[in-house]
Amino acid sequence: MTPDPKRRTRRRLKLVWLLCLAASFLAVAYPIYVIRPFRAQGPLELAVALVVTRFRPAITVLCAGAALAALVWYWRVQKRIVWRLLAVLGTACVALLAVAARVNIYELMFHHLDHPEFAAADKVKLDNDEKVIVVKIGDAARAYPIRSMSYHHVVNDMVGQTAIVATY
Amino acid sequence: MWTRDVAGLRLTFHLAGINNQNFLMRDEETGSYWQQISGLAVSGPLKGQRLTLVESDELLFATWKAEEPAGTVLKDVPAFAGDYAPKDWDVHMKRARTVINFPEHGMKGRDLILGIQAAGASRAFLYDQVVKDKLVKDRVGTESVLLVVGADGQSVRAFKNRIPGVAGAPDFYRLAANKPGVLLMDAATGGEWSFQGCALSGSAKGTCLERIPMLKDYWFDWRNYNPNTTIYGKTD
Repeated sequence: MTPDPKRRTRRRLKLVWLLCLAASFLAVAYPIYVIRPFRAQGPLELAVALVVTRFRPAITVLCAGAALAALVWYWRVQKRIVWRLLAVLGTACVALLAVAARVNIYELMFHHLDHPEFAAADKVKLDNDEKVIVVKIGDAARAYPIRSMSYHHVVNDMVGQTAIVATY
Repeated sequence: MWTRDVAGLRLTFHLAGINNQNFLMRDEETGSYWQQISGLAVSGPLKGQRLTLVESDELLFATWKAEEPAGTVLKDVPAFAGDYAPKDWDVHMKRARTVINFPEHGMKGRDLILGIQAAGASRAFLYDQVVKDKLVKDRVGTESVLLVVGADGQSVRAFKNRIPGVAGAPDFYRLAANKPGVLLMDAATGGEWSFQGCALSGSAKGTCLERIPMLKDYWFDWRNYNPNTTIYGKTD
């Protein structure tokens, strides 16, 4: 008995989706799982998560491209509407994961400052006992209140001619 | 606090992750990840590069303003100001749990310490102990250091305990806080010294002690990155 070539093609295309879906899901989910607050990070898993983070935009775009190509092909060899809809749904999931791979949740949650504004020391409303992180470079003296630094955490700044990042 | 120029690039950093409750920064230019506490690139094209430390202090606002009346202060961003922390944020954080712990020598994860790295060694000083003692004379590795508490009773600075032209570690002692701007005297020059570490009188007048970088941190974080650290008053 000769196997139905269309059936074999459909099976292979389903495998492509599954692989694309699995690879994209892992690329997005693994770094989130490892690099999350209130969890201890081991050196190896952190290194792997950061490498995955670095390459996941490319990985997920390749997966999305492959899933889309598989969809076009599958559409031609599959006449049943339910399977076609499932194929569209699967491809959409891979595409969504490709978008999600470009989003860093931490960068959405925390609002670093790129263009900080400053006021004269005698013009700001700070209590005398507020803690500030201070720096002096040349004649330029800056203070970063801990009250706001503990929210922004990262301030990209210029002090005189020196580019610094204030962190807390 | 770090400089942003490295490997011929000027980097712009975002908070982009966490590593055992010390955050990771990502730079926009190369996508490399940097550890906040060490300034070391831990992943990406610049892996292995290190940012240059910028000397900074953590002071009370009144103390800083008195020293730098022409200084400028980071303004609140109105869109986020409602979410800013209370001014005793670090006290609130002492109750937060930690994911790694080093319960040696009776230390608790959220104990606030002042950490110094010098001469290839690292040493932690319990903040509460330093504030109580007001002047700490100690050694970090082979380096003789002074930790000085400001007149406000909370701000702390660290110096190398060396006066140019004076042999050995000079013997500083703390003065009663009855002369504005003067905190210390030293036996070798008979000079009075300010919280900035500068001699106001005596034969060393006009010279300043060399600052030594010091990090105010939680014990668990300091110990994680300084596994061989000693602890003032506990491991001697």
